[in-house]
Amino acid sequence: MTLTKADESLPAGAARDDRSHRRAALKAAGPRGSARRRRTGGRKTYRLWFALPAIALVAFFFAIPFVANGILSFTKWTGFSSVIRFTGFDNFTSLMSLGILGHATLVTVLFALITMVVQNVVGLSLAKALQHTDRVNSVFRSLFFIPVLISPLAAGYIWAAILAPNGPLNGFISLFVPGFDFSWLGQPSSALLLVGFIDGWKWSGLVTLVYIAGLNSINRSVVEAAVLDGASGWRRFRSIEFPLLAPAFTFNTVLTLVGSFSALDVIFATTKGGPGDATSVLNVAVFNQYGQGLFGTSSALSFMIALLVMITAVPLIWWLRRREVHA
Amino acid sequence: MSNITWVTGRPRLAGRVRYVVLAIVAIPWVVLPFWILLVNSFKTESEASTPSVWLPQHWAVLDNFGTVITQGQYFTGLRNSLLVAIPVVLGVLILGSMAAWTFARTSSRWLRGAYYVMALSIVLPPAIVPTVVLLTRAGLTGSELGYILALLGTRVGVIVFLTTGYIRALPIDFEEAAQIDGANRWQVYWHIILPLLRPILFTAAIMTVINVWNDFLFALYMIKGAANATLPLTLYNFANAGQYGVRWNLVFAHVILTSLPLLIAYIVLQKRILSGLTEGGVTG
Repeated sequence: MTLTKADESLPAGAARDDRSHRRAALKAAGPRGSARRRRTGGRKTYRLWFALPAIALVAFFFAIPFVANGILSFTKWTGFSSVIRFTGFDNFTSLMSLGILGHATLVTVLFALITMVVQNVVGLSLAKALQHTDRVNSVFRSLFFIPVLISPLAAGYIWAAILAPNGPLNGFISLFVPGFDFSWLGQPSSALLLVGFIDGWKWSGLVTLVYIAGLNSINRSVVEAAVLDGASGWRRFRSIEFPLLAPAFTFNTVLTLVGSFSALDVIFATTKGGPGDATSVLNVAVFNQYGQGLFGTSSALSFMIALLVMITAVPLIWWLRRREVHA
Repeated sequence: MSNITWVTGRPRLAGRVRYVVLAIVAIPWVVLPFWILLVNSFKTESEASTPSVWLPQHWAVLDNFGTVITQGQYFTGLRNSLLVAIPVVLGVLILGSMAAWTFARTSSRWLRGAYYVMALSIVLPPAIVPTVVLLTRAGLTGSELGYILALLGTRVGVIVFLTTGYIRALPIDFEEAAQIDGANRWQVYWHIILPLLRPILFTAAIMTVINVWNDFLFALYMIKGAANATLPLTLYNFANAGQYGVRWNLVFAHVILTSLPLLIAYIVLQKRILSGLTEGGVTG
């Protein structure tokens, strides 16, 4: 109340100055400050209580299973015996010699890369096209967001029908190439490419929104200065907007990579890991081992996903963060 | 508008061309896949066995959707999905923002550590097999309760991470003023913190709803029996029930019914959802 009075009698700037002075004075007052801290020390226990439910949930259902998974990767542990014993790297070497570990890791990395490229290329192009908020762009934005809402399982079924040998895609191609009946999901190379594409298709609406937010947070005067300097549209995008989009790029890349390392749904709806094992990503292999009661090797494969995330995502975040520029 | 044309330096015709190009992209990308989903869900089994973009020759709408509801256990799935999604979404929003308040205002090294573990839980993949074993030991496997707890534990981290950053940017003065006026901690949280968090929690809620409603991975491992199955699991079981390959008409009818609750919510709230996601804290 006194403050509003001060605002009336004094210029606004003066009132603000007065407040910041008071805050500085409070900071400088040593003894009073520490007394205040001691009092807040009493509050802390109660505040700890506020965090406890979330901490307990994360501890029991994320942290402990995660650590347990790391340990169990090095044990012989099956559904047929209650004895769990340490066997060192046996799980990994046997999975390696069975050709599961190396293959599943490679397939997972390729799947994640395809997904990431699809999402970022599509997301960035759409964001560039739909950057400004007007009525038509809003309609397109909400249209392109629809695939994000449906489950990856549903996305898988829709595309499995479109890509079926007797499906609409081949029907369309047959107009130009009579009798075309390529089995898109039945050939190893195209199957992996397409399941990655389907996952990218499902999420690119969200990636688009993140890029739109990133583009709109760029200071307009920087872009306008480039226009005055005669920079072309492509040059403006490459030299100004793209570098300034780095935070959005970091967010999208890391999240899509991490998400697609543990993908399963799209593949279960389309190829179930096939043809052969062409689309058997790590999580499909985890499920197969688990289904056979081989919990130890299942944990080892699951641990491999965690390793993949740690050796790619962490350096990636560090590297991308370093590239970020602010304006 | 005039500003934009000045920056791009192009006449209005270019804008029209852009819309045409966008429409040409949007048709195969979004419109056709959903059109194919819709028309083939109206067809008879034999007609849908060759999925196409054409309208059905024989309409079998009631048959297909009726079969999904009776044999596909649609309403059981819907009830279970609601039974899971509502407590999980409310739970992560409330427990997450409560914890975030603590993390934002604390100087305790232990709590800092707990906060980093929560941030890690967003990026690191969940360890499902040990979680299932843990739930089995606790006698919680197969039912919704264990599934709900596992979802809470793996989804609360994002909310904590987003809201902690948000609260740190809020001035502490409101809380202190309320405390001096005699409000207890719960009242401060409920009447001061929670209302201030509304924008970020709305954004977080959208992402959590989409994520939890569509979860298949956890449900596959943690839910046993058709009576407990959530919608994605009923869809999966139903799609694999056909003896002679996939019955597209029925699978598509199930996909439509499974996605319908979120699609309806999206149609009603789309403006707020899209602006929440473009202006909200997703970019961090």
